[in-house]
Amino acid sequence: MKQIKANKINELHNKSGRKFYFKFLLLFPLFFISFPSFAVEVNELIHHIDKLWRGDTSHATMTMTVKTRHYERSMTLEAWSRGKEYSLIVIRKPIKDKGIATLKVKENIWNYLPKINRVTKVPSSMMSGSWMGSHFSNDDLVKESTFEGDYHSSITFEGKRDGVAIYEITSIPKLNAAVVWGKVVMQIDQKTLSPRIALYYDEEGVLIRTMTFDQPQKIGKLTVPMRLTLQPEDKPEESTVIIYQDIVLDIPLSSAFFSLQNLQKRR
Amino acid sequence: MKNNVSSFSQLPILIFIAWRNLWRNPVRSILTISALASGLIMVILYASLLEGMTRQMVRFATEISISDIQVHRQAYIDDQDIYATLPWSYLKKMEQDFPSLHFSPRIYAAGLASVADTSTGVLIKAVDPKREKEVTKLFEHVRHGKLDLGIADTTKNGFVRYNVVIGAQLAKNMNVKIGDELVLVTQAVDGSIGNALYRIAGVLKPLEPNFDRIGVLMSIKAYQQLMYLKDGFHELAIKINDMALLQDTQNKIKNELTQLGKQQPLDKFGGKPVVRNWRQLTPAVADMMEMSKAIVLVVGFIIVSLASLGMLNTMLMAVHERTHEFGILLAIGMKRRWLLLMVLFESFFLALVSAVVGTLIGLVINEYFEEHGIDFSKSMPDGYDWAGMIFEPVMKGYLLPGDVLYACLMMMVVTMLASLIPSWRTVRLKPADAMR
Repeated sequence: MKQIKANKINELHNKSGRKFYFKFLLLFPLFFISFPSFAVEVNELIHHIDKLWRGDTSHATMTMTVKTRHYERSMTLEAWSRGKEYSLIVIRKPIKDKGIATLKVKENIWNYLPKINRVTKVPSSMMSGSWMGSHFSNDDLVKESTFEGDYHSSITFEGKRDGVAIYEITSIPKLNAAVVWGKVVMQIDQKTLSPRIALYYDEEGVLIRTMTFDQPQKIGKLTVPMRLTLQPEDKPEESTVIIYQDIVLDIPLSSAFFSLQNLQKRR
Repeated sequence: MKNNVSSFSQLPILIFIAWRNLWRNPVRSILTISALASGLIMVILYASLLEGMTRQMVRFATEISISDIQVHRQAYIDDQDIYATLPWSYLKKMEQDFPSLHFSPRIYAAGLASVADTSTGVLIKAVDPKREKEVTKLFEHVRHGKLDLGIADTTKNGFVRYNVVIGAQLAKNMNVKIGDELVLVTQAVDGSIGNALYRIAGVLKPLEPNFDRIGVLMSIKAYQQLMYLKDGFHELAIKINDMALLQDTQNKIKNELTQLGKQQPLDKFGGKPVVRNWRQLTPAVADMMEMSKAIVLVVGFIIVSLASLGMLNTMLMAVHERTHEFGILLAIGMKRRWLLLMVLFESFFLALVSAVVGTLIGLVINEYFEEHGIDFSKSMPDGYDWAGMIFEPVMKGYLLPGDVLYACLMMMVVTMLASLIPSWRTVRLKPADAMR
């Protein structure tokens, strides 16, 4: 276990981390000067989390269960991604929605609807609308790729929470960023470097939704939480749960794969 | 006593003299009469146009879209909660219990409409054509095409296309014409993606700005196949036959809903059913009606006052000219109050003739306004919108007989008040000075 941790830390911290420890040991007052090394660490942590489900390219199968007070439905999805810019998601089950596909390229989203055999582009006015009836919005898919550019992140806590050593990353939107959230706080397990919980606040600092990550599984070298639960704060009886069944990372996928033609073909 | 009797016997002579006095200077009198009469005509036409506008507003509000009374669930009013429906059994029961009223259920949803490359957010409104025709004239309100919400055709893969009718502005923005295909994508109530193809069968005339810009009208059957919302409707529009029974009917429906709520409770999320009449539904229209009465009164008073200044001038001149004459009359024993009365009679005749002439001409012009109206359709073919309602580009008058009477009365009163000044001068004449 210790070996794993050391590996992780090495992988993450490489040069800057060592420098930090060195300074910390020798010159205590310089602790404050070494602050920039923290920032590097934050970015690396965020990169690390981004890569968990996605790698450089990925191919995953998952089930999404949406529970609202009016309905509960479960879908099986197949998803491909390349970086943060490109993703393609196709519904495999239930039969009624089979073949409905979503293509995301940069900031655009298209839906393919097999019943009427049409591709429709989601206009900007509908971005805040729900994606496939879940608690995720179309915007959640789009804004993901600009998260690093839109928010300024920093480690705001390092230590034990509920008996687990964690890093707490707080992300505050940059001055002119067009974003939905006023603050996003994420807790990351220090040992496995996998996220535990993410809290989304609005501009008034009110908690809007909580995403919890559990059922960690080893995929290659990484520990990846296989279950993601999104819980809106104002509707405690509702939730959207994504359970990954299978993730294959770093498979060959060119950006040409994420085309409108493929959106229709992949059903 | 004897004196009194003789006084009254002199009255017809006095009136006769006053009348004759008017025509001693016919040009001046006719000018005064025409000033007063045109003032009156303006007041009459103004009242007529404002009343016509108000009536058009109420007609648009009630006859075409809102109807007289509407029922919604509270949660639907608050935030258009698509799940806040009234069950179909309620409608059935109410139709049984109130055979004299007409009911039309309506269902709404937000969706995404696309034609070729353009997509835009739309408001889907679903009605039952048979019931809707009994409640509103929506189905006569078509600009192009036909208001047909039936099945258009079946595509090759066995998919049924329904006809829809869209708002004029939406048709313009999406650049579509009749017969084009419209794709609607929305989130159905079971969380799945509702999607279907439609054929545009017609374009509605402007109705209310919102619906005109984003409205898509379809049949309830088509809606249910798109949205999977089968167990109820969002809005119940009710038409009553006698407007005087509005409040009474509203209360009866409230009671009926309370009864139904006991027999067949509604789900807990949607809130209570709320019954509102058209005045509550469109407060702007109700306010406008109240306001228009006050506006007519104020504007009318200003016009008449200005016109009566002309009358004041005329009478002052007339009295001044006849100072010598009045002096002689006083000297030979004419009572001052008789002199005062004579001058007042002269003013009264002026006002009366003006009232008759003004009313006659006013009625003739108003007849034209009621028939043809003032037509703005060249500059504003779609009409204009005010307070969330769209008006036809033709302003038509509507004259209430009471308004004419009030206008005449107001003019008479104002002119008589004005004529008190010249008559008072005659009372204060000293015969010796006057004759000098």
